[in-house]
Amino acid sequence: MPKHPVIAAVGSTAISSEHRGSNARDLMTEAVLDCLADAGLDDLSAVEHGLASYESDHFNLQMTLGAILQDTIGLTPKPGLRIEGGGATGALALRTAWAHVVSGLCDSILVYGVEKNGRGVSSRTANQLFALSADVDWEMMIGGTYTGFYAAMIRAHMAAFGTTEEQFAHVAVRNRRNAGFNPIAQKPMDISVDDVLASLPIAEPYKLLDCSLLSDGAACILLATEDWASAHCPRFRQRPPVYFSASGCGSDTMRLGDRYPHITNFRAKQAAARQAYQMAGIKEPLAEIDVAELYDSYSGVEIQAVEDLGFAAAGAGGPAVAVGAFDLDGDLPVNTSGGLLGRGAPVGATGILQAIEVAQQLWESVDARRQVEGARRGLTDTHAGIASISVVNIFERRD
Amino acid sequence: MSDKVSSQIDVATIDGDAVTDPWREFRLVERITLELSQSYKYSLGKYSRFFIELENRRFLATRCEACGKVYAPPRPLCPACLQPTAWTELSGEGAVETWSALHFSPASNADARALETPYVLVYVLLDGADTLFPHLLKTPPDQVRRGLRVRVVYSDEPVRHPIHLMYFVPIST
Repeated sequence: MPKHPVIAAVGSTAISSEHRGSNARDLMTEAVLDCLADAGLDDLSAVEHGLASYESDHFNLQMTLGAILQDTIGLTPKPGLRIEGGGATGALALRTAWAHVVSGLCDSILVYGVEKNGRGVSSRTANQLFALSADVDWEMMIGGTYTGFYAAMIRAHMAAFGTTEEQFAHVAVRNRRNAGFNPIAQKPMDISVDDVLASLPIAEPYKLLDCSLLSDGAACILLATEDWASAHCPRFRQRPPVYFSASGCGSDTMRLGDRYPHITNFRAKQAAARQAYQMAGIKEPLAEIDVAELYDSYSGVEIQAVEDLGFAAAGAGGPAVAVGAFDLDGDLPVNTSGGLLGRGAPVGATGILQAIEVAQQLWESVDARRQVEGARRGLTDTHAGIASISVVNIFERRD
Repeated sequence: MSDKVSSQIDVATIDGDAVTDPWREFRLVERITLELSQSYKYSLGKYSRFFIELENRRFLATRCEACGKVYAPPRPLCPACLQPTAWTELSGEGAVETWSALHFSPASNADARALETPYVLVYVLLDGADTLFPHLLKTPPDQVRRGLRVRVVYSDEPVRHPIHLMYFVPIST
């Protein structure tokens, strides 16, 4: 049995459409200082390892930003590395950090993630830059965008299972409502299913309010062995310990068409979940997981995710979402933070923000209006592209 | 506006408390416009014959001799068998499997012609292929449905990326 790390401390910036006064280094600095305060540490002298999490050299107009970030917070000459895995970057960074601790390579590692996807470039340029992470010769050059690829997937899901636009509109409404209870959220909204259905078409059947946000923001987690956290973080014992107890990762073909006939759901996510559940000893995920942050890059993606993660049978995600099974008062509250739709999605920080929400839920330290009572085990689901890479991380409170 | 920094967008003071903001010394922010453009000697590699044959109005796929799977778009290597594949010609006819009408185009693509919105992205199961081929279907969005029969049309106009030497249209019945 490997020794799983604990979440020693967490920190983040507010998530915003534009932090105009801050570049990526500034945002990352803010999140790291917030994490230090959470740990009760004055400096990073005891921390053994750094790990930078960001997706885009293009958005930042800077290569080797990881080295600059490590330098900025004075972690030199300690070891550091940068992890990139598209939309899954933050979760993959945490998985990598997890492996560093479990393997004994280090006892403490600071994972700092940042992205400026907000208004540094126009949304048209942003779409083009994101489309560069599709297959350039076959998908990007024809004018394909990720909104279009996801739209083609959910249309296949609708054709196979009868999933409806009203059902995925419910996700857009609920996650933006949950964001209203999260002080760092970018865009809380009190909207109705009809508002979503009436919003501007972007890539049919997805409309403006079905789409997640472009964001600026940063997030940071200090992972460590329990012994290290107890010895070095004065505030660690003030909260019940939350362990990062399992991690799964899967992959799939880059192009949707190469997955035919499996184009309704995410096989990489199913594979990641199987691994994570096996590692955590989970047999019935819906009953054994209390809170989850799912990758709602588009509203319908959450419906596909609840099926792939085993929270609903294949094809049953739409009806389950629509009856409120995953609302704050449902069987398994998901995206209590507001998700990518409401809290926001600064890519390199997104997976870290998801883990922070789960940890704070397990610590019972979030706003009472979104607190899941007695939550003991939580999950994050994060993927890249249309789940060409998928990561499922599991966190458990043990006290 | 600065008369010395031609790229300057603006200078602004970010909100914050004059006493308690730890960054009170750093609230003055200048923004400038930066541009970066590159051109690449970009090899189409082992895909090349597909693109070259589009100029000859022929639609090629690849077939794995070991497992028989036909890949369109072509794969030079069968990922299941790890064997080099062989070129095979398809009719260029097939059926729409799924699609989306896009109302928002990326800033540009390699084709000089701007994409007029809405445009239709289709995934086509070509006759004789085992995978779906993504491309544009030139037809009004309300006429697209799953199973719609389509065929490849070869373009005579000059293009920047050879993938634009083709597109799909419905087969009129």
